[in-house]
Amino acid sequence: MFSKILIANRGEIAVRIIRACRELGIKTVAVYSDADKNALHVQQADEAVHIGAASPKESYLNADVLIRAALASQADAIHPGYGFLSENASFAAAVESANLTFIGPSAASIRAMGDKAESKIRMKEAGVPTVPGAEGLDSLPEFESAAREIGYPILVKASAGGGGKGMRIVWEADDLPEEIDAARREALHAFGDDRLLIEKYIADAHHIEFQVFGDKHGHLVHLFERECSVQRRHQKIIEETPSPLLTPELRKQMGEAAVKAAQAVGYHNAGTIEFIFDPQLSTFYFLEMNTRLQVEHPITELTTGLDLVQWQIRVAAGERFPYAQEQLTQRGHAIECRVYAEDPASGFLPSTGKLLQYIEPRGPGIRVDSGFRAGDEVTHFYDPLLAKLIVHAENRQAAIRKMQTALRDFVVHGVVTNMDFMQAVLSHPDFADGKVSTRWVENTLDWKPPSAPSFESLVAAAFADLAIANRQSKIENRNEPDPYSPWKTLHGFRN
Amino acid sequence: MKLTFDNTTIDLLPAGKSYRVTLGEKTATAEILRADAERGQIEFLLGGERLTAYVSFDNAKRWVTINGQTFVLARQSGSRKRGGSHQHAAGELTAPMPGQIRAVNVSEGEAVTKGQTLIILEAMKMEIRIQAPMDGVVKSLAVKVGQTVEREQNLIIVESQKSQV
Repeated sequence: MFSKILIANRGEIAVRIIRACRELGIKTVAVYSDADKNALHVQQADEAVHIGAASPKESYLNADVLIRAALASQADAIHPGYGFLSENASFAAAVESANLTFIGPSAASIRAMGDKAESKIRMKEAGVPTVPGAEGLDSLPEFESAAREIGYPILVKASAGGGGKGMRIVWEADDLPEEIDAARREALHAFGDDRLLIEKYIADAHHIEFQVFGDKHGHLVHLFERECSVQRRHQKIIEETPSPLLTPELRKQMGEAAVKAAQAVGYHNAGTIEFIFDPQLSTFYFLEMNTRLQVEHPITELTTGLDLVQWQIRVAAGERFPYAQEQLTQRGHAIECRVYAEDPASGFLPSTGKLLQYIEPRGPGIRVDSGFRAGDEVTHFYDPLLAKLIVHAENRQAAIRKMQTALRDFVVHGVVTNMDFMQAVLSHPDFADGKVSTRWVENTLDWKPPSAPSFESLVAAAFADLAIANRQSKIENRNEPDPYSPWKTLHGFRN
Repeated sequence: MKLTFDNTTIDLLPAGKSYRVTLGEKTATAEILRADAERGQIEFLLGGERLTAYVSFDNAKRWVTINGQTFVLARQSGSRKRGGSHQHAAGELTAPMPGQIRAVNVSEGEAVTKGQTLIILEAMKMEIRIQAPMDGVVKSLAVKVGQTVEREQNLIIVESQKSQV
């Protein structure tokens, strides 16, 4: 087993990995950019190394600096988390060449699956169903003729991509040039690689993915599905397991396809096979494989009882994964809500600022994975994910109610969040019926922010302000440790 | 005592240890039960209902969470001078958030059509398109590709064709 692990990431996932390491008795090394000097992950690690400027390219994406930091701190392995360099095959190879262990799949598996075009070809060969599309296109005329052949609408995607970055739906031929340019720019900026591929856009599609897990001894299983159809801008906001759509028979078929897909590239460690599911025909297509830990891994952890991050570390160190497919079961229902610092009322624009108040919900069956505390700054440099709120209950209905209650208890001031928006999704009859497709948020959900502040909120604000006025009238003859706190005089003021 | 938030005036009239609260047509009795400075938390009775609120101060803004909903209220002085601080002359486009200019598709003096993408701003790994709010001409361009901009920073001014004549 490793004695020290460097975590090449930030935010909630770095905190999550540190926790797994602590439970395994492994020392941790955090890395941080200029913007993250006081971040929670830095505070929680045993050691921390400064790796550069706030811009990801100069810090969290700088492979050389990360490997040097690992060697200098005498770590024996690197956990990449998700995003940043987690799906970068050259980084995985460089880590291994430096005699460190990369906690993830082999560089060859990442390369094969990380390239969306190559992976589709590999999957077709392995007999896994794929979406009609075209890869290896370069010039605009090539894109135009391929798009015509597939038929609009089409989806333009970054070959190297994931997480919705560089992805665009194109409805008609006229829009293709501009969308290709934009997708190229986004892809280049996010992944350093501007190759694109196109595929048929399936309307009412559901996004259902399977967690796979393998050790270095050839044993590979799936850990059931995650339904991730609630999305905005192609990014997931609510995930759940089990999927309300799958029958045991479909689950078995898709699970077997997922295992076959992962086996085709000799996969080990945690990975996710994403499928597009057409609810009309009950057919599924391989979409892509994420060769890393997924943001939404906690819902799988809660329903299977496995600690995926600890198992990632253990199999990377050469341990065998001890469970056969037949031994694995799911219990109850889990839902994750991604609490983003973004404003649903203005097109989900990220919201930045200092967290003036931050109180996480608590209670049985509630888990919060977060990388922030009150007083922390949410900057524009990184993904606006504030926290993941995850609940586990005995069935879907109970899990939805638990989530609604937990969201009500989550207090965030200083940045606008998407929590009201997620409440609207959770209380919608379509969500209750499991009918939410990946474009449902754009097409069906008619969400509007409250037009006027509630009476109660105005009374609360007035009381708080009254306290300030009260304090100012008394300030001369008081000797308060924090004279500017409006709260100090509230106790006196109620008498 | 009268306080105005978001153009809504609320009147608090002391009545023994409670207050008579008036907002437009609405009137209720309210009483503070407990205030927790540490958590920015107030518990109060409003019309007999027990409520818990979290309030944070952010200059003129008040972040209030109550009944599971969060509101951002702008405190206004009696004269309401502060209202509308985010309004700009029509056609003056500002950065909705801090970021970096990825592309500038137009130059000064160029004619533009409503909805045309003028500037692409990248923030938090996303592209934000700054589009022409109307048909017109680029009156002035304040940014270059690669430049970092702050929230609310002026990017470009588009003048409508009508006002030019």
